[in-house]
Amino acid sequence: MKKYSLLPFLFLFSPLVLFSQFRVSGTVTDETDGLTIIGANILVKGSNAGTTTDLDGRYELDAPGPDAVLVFTYIGFRTVEIPVDNRTRIDVVMQVEASLLDEIVVVGYGVEKRSNISGSVSIINSDEFSETPILRTEQALQGRTAGVQVAHNSGSPGSALTVRIRGVGTINNSDPLYIVDGIPVEGIDFLNPNDIESINVLKDAASSAIYGSRGANGVVLITTKGGKLNQEGMIEYNGYYGMQSPWKMINLLSAREYAIIQNEAFIAAGKTPRPEFANPDALGEGTNWLDAIFEPAPTMSHQLTLTGGSERSAYGVSANYFEQDGIVGGAKSGFERATVRFNTNHQLKKWLTVGNTLGFTWLKRQFLPENNEFTTPLVRALNMDPVTPIRKADGTYAYSLYADTDIVNPLNAIEQTHDTWRSNRLVGSVFAEIRIMEGLSVRSTYSLDATYATQNTFYPLYDLSNIPELSDAPGGEKTETNSVAIGNNTWRNWQWENVLIYKKQFGLSHDFTFTAGTTALENRHDYSGGANTNLPSNDPEDAYISNTIDPIESQSSYQGASESSLFSYFGRVNYGFANKYIVSATFRADGSSRFGRNNRVGYFPSFSAAWLISEEDFWNIPMINFLKLRGSWGRNGNDRIGNYSYSTLVYSGQNYTFGPTETITNGSVSLVSANPDLKWETSTQTDFGLDLELLEGQIGLIADYYVKQTTDMLYAAPIPLVAGTDPPIRNIGSVENKGWEFAVFFRNRKSALKYDLGGNISFVQNRVTSLGQGGDPIPSGRVQSANAFAAKTEVGHPMGSFFGYVTDGIFQSQQEVEAHAFQNEGTAAGDIRFMDLNGDNVIDVEDQTYIGNPIPDFTYGLTANVEFKGFDLGVFLQGSEGNDIYNSTVRYDFTYVNRPVSVLNRWTGPGTSDFEPRANLNDPNQNARISDRFVEDGTYLRVKNVQLGYNFPKALTQRARLSKFRIYVSAQNLLTYTNYSGLDPEIGTIGGTLEMGIDRGFYPQARTLLGGISLGF
Amino acid sequence: MKAKMIPLFLLTVLFTFGSCTKDFLEKSPPIGVTEENFYKTEADAIAAVNAAYAALQFELSPGGHFRWFWGDIMSDDSEKGGSGDNDVNELLQLETFQGPANTDLLEAEWGANFQGIYRANVVLEKVPAIEMNGNLKARILAEAKFIRAWFFYNLVTVFGGVPLVDHTLAASEYNMPRASATEVWDLIETDLTEAARDLPLRSEYEPIDIGRITKGAAQALLVKTYLWRQNWVAAQQTAEEIINSGEYVLAADYATIFTLEGENGPESVFEIQYMNASGGNWGKNNANEGTFTNVFQRARGQFEGYGFNIPTQDLVDEFFDGGEEDPRLEATVFREGEPMGDRGVFTKEATGQPFDYYPKKNFNNKSEEAPFGDPNPNGGTNDRVIRYADVLLMHAEAAWHNGAEEAARGSLNEVRLRVGVPVINASGDALLQAIYRERRLELSMEGHRFFDLVRTGRAVAELGPLGFQQGIHEVFPIPESQIQATNGALTQNNGY
Repeated sequence: MKKYSLLPFLFLFSPLVLFSQFRVSGTVTDETDGLTIIGANILVKGSNAGTTTDLDGRYELDAPGPDAVLVFTYIGFRTVEIPVDNRTRIDVVMQVEASLLDEIVVVGYGVEKRSNISGSVSIINSDEFSETPILRTEQALQGRTAGVQVAHNSGSPGSALTVRIRGVGTINNSDPLYIVDGIPVEGIDFLNPNDIESINVLKDAASSAIYGSRGANGVVLITTKGGKLNQEGMIEYNGYYGMQSPWKMINLLSAREYAIIQNEAFIAAGKTPRPEFANPDALGEGTNWLDAIFEPAPTMSHQLTLTGGSERSAYGVSANYFEQDGIVGGAKSGFERATVRFNTNHQLKKWLTVGNTLGFTWLKRQFLPENNEFTTPLVRALNMDPVTPIRKADGTYAYSLYADTDIVNPLNAIEQTHDTWRSNRLVGSVFAEIRIMEGLSVRSTYSLDATYATQNTFYPLYDLSNIPELSDAPGGEKTETNSVAIGNNTWRNWQWENVLIYKKQFGLSHDFTFTAGTTALENRHDYSGGANTNLPSNDPEDAYISNTIDPIESQSSYQGASESSLFSYFGRVNYGFANKYIVSATFRADGSSRFGRNNRVGYFPSFSAAWLISEEDFWNIPMINFLKLRGSWGRNGNDRIGNYSYSTLVYSGQNYTFGPTETITNGSVSLVSANPDLKWETSTQTDFGLDLELLEGQIGLIADYYVKQTTDMLYAAPIPLVAGTDPPIRNIGSVENKGWEFAVFFRNRKSALKYDLGGNISFVQNRVTSLGQGGDPIPSGRVQSANAFAAKTEVGHPMGSFFGYVTDGIFQSQQEVEAHAFQNEGTAAGDIRFMDLNGDNVIDVEDQTYIGNPIPDFTYGLTANVEFKGFDLGVFLQGSEGNDIYNSTVRYDFTYVNRPVSVLNRWTGPGTSDFEPRANLNDPNQNARISDRFVEDGTYLRVKNVQLGYNFPKALTQRARLSKFRIYVSAQNLLTYTNYSGLDPEIGTIGGTLEMGIDRGFYPQARTLLGGISLGF
Repeated sequence: MKAKMIPLFLLTVLFTFGSCTKDFLEKSPPIGVTEENFYKTEADAIAAVNAAYAALQFELSPGGHFRWFWGDIMSDDSEKGGSGDNDVNELLQLETFQGPANTDLLEAEWGANFQGIYRANVVLEKVPAIEMNGNLKARILAEAKFIRAWFFYNLVTVFGGVPLVDHTLAASEYNMPRASATEVWDLIETDLTEAARDLPLRSEYEPIDIGRITKGAAQALLVKTYLWRQNWVAAQQTAEEIINSGEYVLAADYATIFTLEGENGPESVFEIQYMNASGGNWGKNNANEGTFTNVFQRARGQFEGYGFNIPTQDLVDEFFDGGEEDPRLEATVFREGEPMGDRGVFTKEATGQPFDYYPKKNFNNKSEEAPFGDPNPNGGTNDRVIRYADVLLMHAEAAWHNGAEEAARGSLNEVRLRVGVPVINASGDALLQAIYRERRLELSMEGHRFFDLVRTGRAVAELGPLGFQQGIHEVFPIPESQIQATNGALTQNNGY
């Protein structure tokens, strides 16, 4: 009856509804401080029509009718829907959203409400790091999320960081897969962190299995900023400027102390000390080379961001310039980056949305040698004798009469280094999304990632000789000729992706989402380069290959290319029942050109389930507003196995000599047998987790336990020698990582004193479980001072564990030497006693054992952010516990170089020392052999960032027509607590996955003090 | 868009690539030649067999495994030497017959020979399908057969029976068990017989091919094989084919055989070629053209060598057994006070070591070394593996066993006359002993002695005092690492 009575009424008024605009206006305010909110979104429900609040928090909107419903949204606040109900003025007080459970999170090929995720996903929103000046995106991950271990590979500006998600997954490439706006990218140094909206880390296999053969080491999904529909145009400027300096200096021997030690070492070796060292006191302090190579270095950034949106279109435009010099070498290790980004989306038709992302990056990085024992400024400064002055009387650099080959004047070496990498990279995509019907849409995306990069190197002519005619300088301090080298690289990667999503609710309680898609992608790397010597000009500006006086034949050149392709099908089914039970299954089939013919396609399934206990009717603990149990299992792969590892090449150069004049004649054979079975490395992971929130989201806890098994790990395990070939790379090894992760937070945003405290901690246990049949341990970490490998990867042990001798104090007398197992012909009192572990009375290789583990027992991060009356204070601490470092910065293989100050406590007679051996030029006991003497505890706690900011009150800023005006000061690496004796305890992985925690003259991280400003118009 | 278009749309999207996916995923390396694209031309065939020849030069890769380690040091002709007992101590253990089965030296010998066998097998499998000159193809296959036989010969004389790897192995075949020594000898005999049939005479090769395996080389190794198998008739007959070919004569001057000028000389039957080339990085990557024998056998100290393979007093005494000094001694050892070529006079002070003698046959002068100051001490001395004198003495030995004493004495005395020592007129066992003794005098320090003693059953008599036990030490232990690597598919030799 009612229906009928309403019908004519509606009919009558419908023209009015359609054609009359019902104007509504009002103010939006924040419940905590009563201040107006700028930029809040107001949308008419069921349409695109909407607006945002202005600088005074006011809005005005033409609603389609007096019975329309308005939706008010603002980040960090609970979304409210208010029926107009014939009102023309609606003021809204928005309540702070304490819980983030309703947040929409990007997952693989889709989005998901945070509360509904059944896998293990870490979410980092830009507000967590946007107030902290960072250079590289990886820094935003460090210490901010459980299960992700990040370490700097170097403190030099622009250097890559090591990122390990849930342990070190393989002895090969263990880097995660990075997906930026849906585009898989190799390396993320091109990204400007200011452009990032969010970073989501897919940690468990169930979350990452939809990336199939690329997901084994975890997936990092990065979304860049764009505009939003119905958003008033916003202009933002952010800029900062700061100075960097070393946070730690190491004491070195003075010239006097150096001479005393040298004299003693000469005498111990039966040689006459140098006459010029007869009176050490006369030599005084000498040169402090470490002081000499460090310098204060500036850093700065300017960022301009424009965002806005109309009813149907939204855009985000940004430009950034960033510059950082190094604390060693200044601009010689400097980094510059300019980025431009342009993201848009347009609702062209009701059923069609199109859009694009586009980022362009220009970057320039200058290199000094890093983390090796031969050519780094750090090793040279630590080992150069203090007697040598920096400069001669005439102002030119001096050379040392004592230091050996590699150890040259570090300042001259820095000055003579010209090594520059320039890259232009374009990463962009276009997409079209078609809404076929309610709940069903298809999105097709084409993306391109193109990089053009050049490396220019120039080796100038120089000679530090005192008398140039005599050319008295040693080989390392002069060059015979100058030379130039260039390397060109082009990477072109494209991807075409089609994804279909169907969302449907059956009845009231059955939620169903179906995702399916295909991906095709192709990567190509082209490289070429050349070199030449003898340039008439010694100016690096003139360093071109063609600028040579040598004949053209003296040029060398090379060219090559490498390609790979991938074609995949993938799908996912999500099913939720009554918001209480969620199950999800994914599947992916990957066909890859990298896999051998017999295994060209891999299949990767996963399952996960969650139970939202707090949604159950029987739940009656009101304090716990949210409790979810999760469990998942999945399998995925690591396809970073090289592009052609399955094939075998015929090698020439297997020569023999024939003929009367002994002519070298080419022979060719393949030295490795092909492996058509070669495939991805498989990772299988089981995860159990719990998400908990108390007090309406004021306290939260996320806990996870996982076991991750990597099998089919690629390794060229030795094969029986009857094969007659080198072992092929085969899928034979396995590694296990298991661990616990916890993250907690306490937040209060509802009072004048707002705070947000967070902490996370990750425990990982790594163990190699197989290296195949006959899987010999893999040595790694060659240490020059001992001319031996310091680490070993063996079944039953963590990867890259330190392996060597165990010291047992110092022989105090010759009787002690004789009473102990035989060590060396020349072993004498004052030498190190090594333990005779196998009791055979001889110290030899059989007495080596595991002496350290570079993998931390746990890593953690702590954040505290407090806001009060416009002031904000942020503190971020990060630490690592229980990891060992092998300190290999001292060149014990050289005789006349400097030594660490610990040598001052050397053994000089019975009872004088039980740790530091006697000084002896020849080291007949091999005191410098790989031993626990050089293994140090690398545990540290670092105050990564402390920041104090002030937001000028709106009353003031609005007068200047500013929406935001903030100034801040910040200190990075302000304090570091560690017992490590080297320059920096944060040591990454240089030169391969198994080269962990070995300090070979690490470029230390800087302490940075900076000030910045943020303006919004 | 209408709902019924969905399936059509889906099909389009999902299967756009369906038809061409296979090609799309096919990417071959742009740089380098894959095995599938090689072995197409005559040049490829030659390069393939050259790579097998390259394996003849392996001495230090993988690990040291010189021929003279086994032939000389293990015998009563020489001892290890070096800087002391700890310098390659495993060699000392082996020569005193306390040899451990886990030494790198035996593993190196095992591995290097199988590398050579692999390369020969590749030739034998790939070259037949190449379209090319038929004669050349036959020659290349015959060269490969010789090379394969040579490596099996090394293996069977050092280890006894070994896996019969007569083809390139698939991964599933890596645990191949050992064949009997007889089966290995059968393969060697077949390979050499076929090689001798197809190989050209030495004189039929172009000069540019000096160093390639000849019919004579195959026949000579076949004679050795027959001697090991005590097939005296075939041995004598094959030796006579070499003698009657007129391809070889004894060099007029014994001492010149071992000089640079004497390389590939008139009595050279099988000689492994080395040249004084730069690079090679200590034999790594199997790409070395020089020999390390020179530096290993040179005295230490000012002679810049490592002082291995020190001739024993027992050997030196043998040269005086006839009363007068045999003139070949001077070409065989350096004695104190003698100049070591252009490197100075041999004194114990100059060598820094207590040894009275140093080997001479592999000595090279400083002036003969590579001019480029290569830190890798490559030498250029060829390895005289089979000389015509050896063929004559093998002929004598076989003829004696066949009762042809006249022929035996003829060959024996041809060797003696060359150096001007009195002819032997003995007969019966005295003649056999004279032939044995002649082998020692003529061929000492050339890697024959230990194997001659074992082959003729005299090892326990001569080496017993050094620890040799009959029934055990005729062969060396199978490398323990290989028994483990094959999960025990390989079995250890008796007594080890």
